[in-house]
Amino acid sequence: MPETFPVATPIWCPGCGDFGVLAALKKALAELRIPPKDTIIVGGIGCSGHIHNDIQVYGYHSLHGRLLTTATAVKLANPRLTVIAAGGDGDGYAIGGNHFLHALRRNPSIVYLVMNNGTYGLTKGQPSPTAQIGFEGTKEIPFEPVLMALSLRSSTFVARGFSGNQTQLVRLIKEAIEHESQGKGFAFLDVLSPCVTYNDTYAEWRKAVVDLNADPDFDNTNRSKSFQHILETIVSGRIPTGLLYRGEGASFERNVLLPGSEPMALQDISPERNLESYKKLLQKFA
Amino acid sequence: MTTTLERETRPVQPKRVNEIRVMVGGQGGDGTLTVISLLARCLKLIGLHTYDARNVLSRIRGGHADGVLRGSVNRVLCSGDALDALVAFDEEAVEVGSPLLEADGVVIFDSSRGPLKKRLPPGVQVYQSKLSDLAGTQLKKTLLKNTISFAILSRALGLKQELVERVVRERYQRKGGEVLEGNMAALQIGFRLADEIGVAAHYSIPEGAENGSLQVVGDEAIGIGFIVGGGRFYAGYPITPASEVLDYLSVNLPKFGGAAIQAEDEISAINMAIGAAVAGVRSMTATSGPGQDLMTEGLGQAAEAEIPVVIVDVQRSGPSTGMPTKHEQSDLNHVVFAGHGDFPRLVIAPADVTDCFYLTIDALNLAEKYQLPVFILIDQALAQNSQSVPPFDLSKVRVERGKLLSQTELDSLPVYKRYEFSSDGISRRTVPGMSGGFSQITGNEHNEWGMVSVNTENREKMMRKRMLKVELAKTEMPRARFYGSQDAKIGFVSFGSNVGPILEAMDILAAKNLPTKFLLVRSLHPLHEDELAQFLDSVDTAFVVECNLSGQLAGLIRREVGFANKIFGINRFDGHSFRPHEIAQRVLEELGPKTGGNSRNA
Repeated sequence: MPETFPVATPIWCPGCGDFGVLAALKKALAELRIPPKDTIIVGGIGCSGHIHNDIQVYGYHSLHGRLLTTATAVKLANPRLTVIAAGGDGDGYAIGGNHFLHALRRNPSIVYLVMNNGTYGLTKGQPSPTAQIGFEGTKEIPFEPVLMALSLRSSTFVARGFSGNQTQLVRLIKEAIEHESQGKGFAFLDVLSPCVTYNDTYAEWRKAVVDLNADPDFDNTNRSKSFQHILETIVSGRIPTGLLYRGEGASFERNVLLPGSEPMALQDISPERNLESYKKLLQKFA
Repeated sequence: MTTTLERETRPVQPKRVNEIRVMVGGQGGDGTLTVISLLARCLKLIGLHTYDARNVLSRIRGGHADGVLRGSVNRVLCSGDALDALVAFDEEAVEVGSPLLEADGVVIFDSSRGPLKKRLPPGVQVYQSKLSDLAGTQLKKTLLKNTISFAILSRALGLKQELVERVVRERYQRKGGEVLEGNMAALQIGFRLADEIGVAAHYSIPEGAENGSLQVVGDEAIGIGFIVGGGRFYAGYPITPASEVLDYLSVNLPKFGGAAIQAEDEISAINMAIGAAVAGVRSMTATSGPGQDLMTEGLGQAAEAEIPVVIVDVQRSGPSTGMPTKHEQSDLNHVVFAGHGDFPRLVIAPADVTDCFYLTIDALNLAEKYQLPVFILIDQALAQNSQSVPPFDLSKVRVERGKLLSQTELDSLPVYKRYEFSSDGISRRTVPGMSGGFSQITGNEHNEWGMVSVNTENREKMMRKRMLKVELAKTEMPRARFYGSQDAKIGFVSFGSNVGPILEAMDILAAKNLPTKFLLVRSLHPLHEDELAQFLDSVDTAFVVECNLSGQLAGLIRREVGFANKIFGINRFDGHSFRPHEIAQRVLEELGPKTGGNSRNA
């Protein structure tokens, strides 16, 4: 086997929440025995978007905000791959907001990990769409990604973890990857991952997080009840975490691809192979 | 049935012609383009070559719309200068079409909203009748006026009734039932009406055997070329005049285990194409100017990360929303220069439908061999007007994937680096799923492994590595086509669909004893400076013909090749493509008595 790229040392500040996400992701992939050669991480732009450099798998560093459209097409091209899109909150909820909406609508079987810290760390601490009111003077009501994800009837997996809770995070990432690998659709996992330099919310979030899966009254298979429960939790000043919704629906690749066809990426495209069908294309115009 | 005759029909002798030119005009939704396509089919079946053009507004219904069909014993690449027959569903269509009518032309007019008001020259024969009313009362469907008019038109053109019936039957066979019956009944009404008002055969069109040609528009030819060239993934956002690529591939790609995705915007479309390419699929996107603007960041990404992707730009009138359905060639500067930073790209300019097919396959091969974005730049007229072309030769198709490694090749390597420096600037490529081929693919500046790097020495080497590919790809970029006599001192230089009107303008000028020659440029970036320099050196005056105001091709040539003092622009930017006589006229004005030449652009 050829020698390939040396895994990088993360660029993050000591104590950054993203270390917790990286550790949990590595553990989840190892425990599920996902073959690294069949795994691709599509990173966004920002501190978190460097995560693909830090694991020995295939990596693609997308344009700012465009990781979901790229990752969706990777999945369509070869559904046998485990496709993990990983980026930040500015990347996914601001510049990439439109693509987030449409990924939820299409339901491609990819994992989407958002390392959510409420700030743009790489550009030195501007507020992101999820910044708490008052951070850097922002008066805007924070964007609530899990509520948005739930509000699309096509969403099939909505979760939130906290990089300060490894046990829960590993479990959620594993469930997300299983959802993806079984072709069940878009596994969305927002991870609270504090920026210790510009928006250190560790202490605040540690107090506020609540694992809804520990609540026997919480039903994560009922979209409207789950929505209401989450909304009430947020309004009461706490942060809902856990697997917040799991539903069923046809995945994008199942809707789009011819059933049973060879993945596009593996097809023999030599002209001789399809000559007769190509002739039929021309006959249409004769 | 009420029939109003504007003037008496005169006995006519059918005129023997080698080509026939017909306009059908009315409001959008009148079915004008249906009549054009029925006639195109008839003419094809009797061995003629056809060219049809459409003139529509950016609305679903209403507003003036027309189609022009030219049938000829020779291959034609534009709608020409004049019309023999005009089918008009309203007064406006007569206003639009009549200035182009030959002195002995024929007009078929739907007088449902009153008799024709427009005064036409005495030689023009007008047949008018209340076609819509007739269709409404007899067939309960006013739209069938178009099929009625087609029957009358076929009489005036001297086409055999059985041919006309066959074509209409074949067209509606699949829909069957009421649609088929309604149209067949409309034809019979039309034939009876023609008898009643005494429609004569004004033309005698040579009848031969069906010539085996294909009738295809440029957008579709690109779609066919894409599939045949091994393309399996397409993403696009609906936009005039590129939507036909999306429509064609949406229907046909799934048959080959591929997919055509309608993206949420053009930013998504190009990134999807990039994603599929990263996974190892030949991929493409198509758009027009406004979408091209949004794709610009993806363009730089594909170039920096060395991802093969083909981008079709079907030019329309800009800037901004401009005139969405109208023709222009003003994206040239954009596709050649757009994007921040210096990066490699290729720009191919097909000039006819045949080019659209073969050069799309070339574009796919070049993109993958040189691992960069390749533009296919066409214009509205080429994209949407149908041409008769010889059947595409599938035996000529080659799929060349460059340095895409097989698993066996990869296994034999001691080290795999995605962006390894090499003598030709091209690095070996793996795709996810291969063992031992891990790579980091990134739009950040990177080292050979694909890891982010700001090392100064690496930066310079990587920039040069990427740019080197353009110089090497140049040897494979399509050469210009040359037309005319070598020793002519007057030259034309142009690109895209202007080839049709220029070739006919050359005939007009030749008839006035003015020999000309013509260099049709098909590689816009990089330019083949050698062929341009040789051509420009050999002429006294070079007319650079293009549909834009500022002379973008002329500017590019002046910048890259020189000869500024020999270059004169012939420009049109009113939303329409050139007509042959207009080009000839501009040349004569420029060369005639030295008036200072109002088309001077140098």
